[in-house]
Amino acid sequence: MTAIEVRGLTRRYSGGFEAVRGVSFEVEKGEMFALLGTNGAGKTSTVEVVEGLSRPAEGSVRVLGHDPFAERSLVRPRMGVMLQEGGFPPDLTVAEAARMWAGTLTSPRPVDEALALVDLAHRASVRVKQLSGGERRRLDLALALLGKPEVLFLDEPTTGLDPESRRNTWELIRALLREGVTVLLTTHYLEEAQALADRLAIMHRGRIVAQGTVSEVVDAYPSRISFTPPSGVALPVVADVESSGRVTVRTNELQSTLHELLVWAAHNNVELSGLDARSASLEEAFLAIAEEAA
Amino acid sequence: MRAVAIGKAELKLFWRNRTALFNSLLLPLLLAPVLYSVDADGVPLVVGLVGFALLMAVYYNLVTTFVARREELVLKRLRVGELTDPEILAGAALPSVVVALGQMVLYSAVVGVITGVALPARPWFILLGVLGGTAVFVLLAAASSAFTRTVEMAQVTSLPVLMACMLGSGLVFPLSVLPSGLATVLQYLPLTPVLELLRAGWADGPVLKPVSVLAVWIVLGTYAVRQWFRWDPRR
Repeated sequence: MTAIEVRGLTRRYSGGFEAVRGVSFEVEKGEMFALLGTNGAGKTSTVEVVEGLSRPAEGSVRVLGHDPFAERSLVRPRMGVMLQEGGFPPDLTVAEAARMWAGTLTSPRPVDEALALVDLAHRASVRVKQLSGGERRRLDLALALLGKPEVLFLDEPTTGLDPESRRNTWELIRALLREGVTVLLTTHYLEEAQALADRLAIMHRGRIVAQGTVSEVVDAYPSRISFTPPSGVALPVVADVESSGRVTVRTNELQSTLHELLVWAAHNNVELSGLDARSASLEEAFLAIAEEAA
Repeated sequence: MRAVAIGKAELKLFWRNRTALFNSLLLPLLLAPVLYSVDADGVPLVVGLVGFALLMAVYYNLVTTFVARREELVLKRLRVGELTDPEILAGAALPSVVVALGQMVLYSAVVGVITGVALPARPWFILLGVLGGTAVFVLLAAASSAFTRTVEMAQVTSLPVLMACMLGSGLVFPLSVLPSGLATVLQYLPLTPVLELLRAGWADGPVLKPVSVLAVWIVLGTYAVRQWFRWDPRR
């Protein structure tokens, strides 16, 4: 079952600027799909249209089978949204803000439960203006979860969180995915997408430039082996030499190349100091894509 | 009513906002004794005070509230929830409307006791005027907030409506001193039909025309809000 379907989405702002140009993707039920991209790539502009905040200039969007803009009342009770920048009245307490939000929902979970999920129960009586940036982010997440959503939109959910809170948030998101919640995530933390997303798309200047599972996106980019060889020996493989003397070998067959290199070193009694071998990471793929497209 | 959840939160915020509290509660209480020195006819005084409550407690207060919630990104947040747009606006407007109605009751009671104003002969016209007037000024406040960048700027951007309504409705001086052409035009400003309905409720007066003018303002206000209201801060 498809939870989110986006076809040929184009978004134009009043000045005529095209922030999103013909973007298409699908998110299956219970799946996490991540939208990645440099700042200004069009992620938030895309997500806002999928959330139904704005009508697409061209193309179509379906969330749980409905048009999120025209059929807002059918879709909203089943989705939860964490905006990149959402606000709360600064003079309300955490519990009051959550109760206000719960009062607008069809079937909210108990406020205490939602606050406990994001580890904010102990801050319930604190005014919103006294929260740290990370705590405000978690309150935002609590509100997104209050309505027991089937589809969850998370726009930069862990920006401003300390490492521990980020891990906790990841665990919470994993638990939601196991319960069958569909998640559309935007983030500029690549390790976040790598850790959580089933599939992802990389956006650049309003277009999707790569899309697939993490390994599908990453496999198009070579693995790297790097080390510092002793001077004066001829390597058996093609390598880039850096000024420090360290060399980097790029290969699409990491295992066999590494094997060849190690056998050669053993035969010649050569030490490869600081040996480091790794598959391409999402970060490398991302940087390469951003560079190519620039 | 889901909008009530917003209204309740707004009421708490109102209670915690000293400026709003002073303007809406203390000021009228300070004004009340001053009314004791008035020995004029009671009806125009009550009518004037009700108009004043509509302008200050409903219109001015709400321009500020809408701008504040927009700049705090609260409106943007509410808009990704289940509430419809009119519910969000109605919820945010609720405390100001309640306070304004309270002021009107207070003014009427005080002035009524002092000057011995008779009970209105046709109270439903008063009700119609108050409810219609509230709707118009909530809509106008929402429309004005679209042209107001910050809470501080509300003092400036609300002036045109405030001045026009005060001068044009005969609140400050009777319209009969103006050239008749200008007086006719001013009758079509949003506050004038409200006051005409109030007068018609107590004494006699035309009803059909103010009701039509009020209806037109509600339509215009709704159109303006749909066209211009901003849910996001300006960038």
